[in-house]
Amino acid sequence: MDEYAIGVLTNIGLFSFIAASAYLLLVAGELSFGQQAFFGVGAYAAGICTAMLGWPLPLAALAAMALGALAAALVGLPTLRLRGLYFAMATLAAAEMLRILFELFHWQLEIGGETVGPDGTQGFRGIRWVFERGVEPADFLALVWALLAVVAIAIHLIEKSRLGATVRALGEDPELAGMLGIDVLRLKLGVAAAAGALAALGGALFAHHNTYIEPRNFDIMLGVHSLAYALIGGLGTVFGPLLGVALDLGLLEGTRFFQGYRMIVFGGLVALLLIWRPRGLLDERVVHWLKTRFS
Amino acid sequence: MTDFVQNSLDGITLGASYALLALGFTLIFGVLRRANLSYGPAIMFGAYLATWTSLNFPAALFVLFLVTVAGAVLAGSYVERLCFAPHRKGSAVAAMVASFALWMQFEELAVLALPKHLYAFPALYDGGPLSFGPFFLRLESLLMLLAAVSICFLLWKILHATRFGIAVRAVIDDPTAAELSGINIGAISLRVFALASAIGGLTGFLIISSQEQVTPMLGMWSTLKGMLAMMLGGLGSLPGAVAGGLALGLLEAHSQWYFGPQWRDFIAYLLLFVLLAMRPPWMNTRSAY
Repeated sequence: MDEYAIGVLTNIGLFSFIAASAYLLLVAGELSFGQQAFFGVGAYAAGICTAMLGWPLPLAALAAMALGALAAALVGLPTLRLRGLYFAMATLAAAEMLRILFELFHWQLEIGGETVGPDGTQGFRGIRWVFERGVEPADFLALVWALLAVVAIAIHLIEKSRLGATVRALGEDPELAGMLGIDVLRLKLGVAAAAGALAALGGALFAHHNTYIEPRNFDIMLGVHSLAYALIGGLGTVFGPLLGVALDLGLLEGTRFFQGYRMIVFGGLVALLLIWRPRGLLDERVVHWLKTRFS
Repeated sequence: MTDFVQNSLDGITLGASYALLALGFTLIFGVLRRANLSYGPAIMFGAYLATWTSLNFPAALFVLFLVTVAGAVLAGSYVERLCFAPHRKGSAVAAMVASFALWMQFEELAVLALPKHLYAFPALYDGGPLSFGPFFLRLESLLMLLAAVSICFLLWKILHATRFGIAVRAVIDDPTAAELSGINIGAISLRVFALASAIGGLTGFLIISSQEQVTPMLGMWSTLKGMLAMMLGGLGSLPGAVAGGLALGLLEAHSQWYFGPQWRDFIAYLLLFVLLAMRPPWMNTRSAY
């Protein structure tokens, strides 16, 4: 594989994490404009752990996920009672607050003769754990996709279980779900925390792939893109959001054919696609059809 | 004290532009119960069309104003037909994401037509600010205030004294009953989009001609500020939109003075977050997209 293809495939993998995170909340019936914040929390936390504290990457990624889950739960606690646009705007407000805090965040250490650490709007350079250990781009690609496969299969199995059915019921009709004895708030909080951890894992890998992050990486554009990916790919299965990312980053950006017009093509396609399939390509009906066909 | 009054004056003029943006947003939200993320980008489309015109033709300011409004109305109608008309009875999330997709189109179109990061726009007024004792007020700001007040009045007139306005209010109150009594909701929604986009075009023109510059950030800025002001005042309420816009403007002007631009934005988002979490009575939190 040439370097360009590896880059494109790695990016597809990285952004699939945040798309899957938006997907989880959509399935539970909530629309978040703020998943980019937890992606950012993961990126900063993991970067600090490896580049400044000298932790190994696996430990740093776990810490990032824990922090992402905690942040998502803290944002979710006062807002998960809200529905629709109210919840979307509350998560947007929280995410923008976090992004501004990243802009104000200065903490640098002297390590090996150079200053490393977040420097406000100047960003956070030198997250080189992967680079310093001589991990080849192809190996990092394999790592990203292996983790993504684990996550996707885990979500897929959970969706087939009782818990998955409960979350879908909650997304369909929270009042009815509550009357059936489901603890709506607790379940939503759990989903939000899991989605936060997932986005944070993506962010941790993103930071180590780029070696440089800045607050601007985590603005609302990333959040709304992840929503769009989940919705284009389809809300019927966790493989939907991955398909959405692959369509945009792989087909449109990767093939260079639409260079310069990518967003015009992508925007028009998405709008038309959503008229034809309002819940995405792999929606519940298609997934059901596939299941009856191949099992 | 002087600072406080001067900041309040600045805040009110800033708030007037927010109020105008929120009015357009609220009008669309009230009729469709859908958030139009492409509202700001449609304004930016009009602004870029006018900038392009001014760079290529010797056009008078009034012509540029008409071009801005026409561009915004054109873009707004395109958004309505492609994102909101097909989803009127369907998924609110799909409509919102579709409107985001068109935002991407407008932004790329703008950057392709005018690739520099910043373009100069003809000034609305060349002279210095007016002074009242120790206080200063730019003539452009006064015009913005005047526009906000007269648009509010005009809108109120339209909504209360014309057949179209009565139909719009009927749809806002109860879409099903309105449809049953023979109101064509599709036609109303297109006209409301055109009206809201015209207000947006006017606001956009006032903003770029008083700042004398255009950047591609205008789209996101208008959408974020308009939504913020609309939410602060309560969704779908026209007086609420004006109050929310003015409150946001005052808050931003004062917090910028005391804490700087980053904390200004932080405080505005914090206020929105706390209000949403507390759910005061004017922010009725029934399910709303």
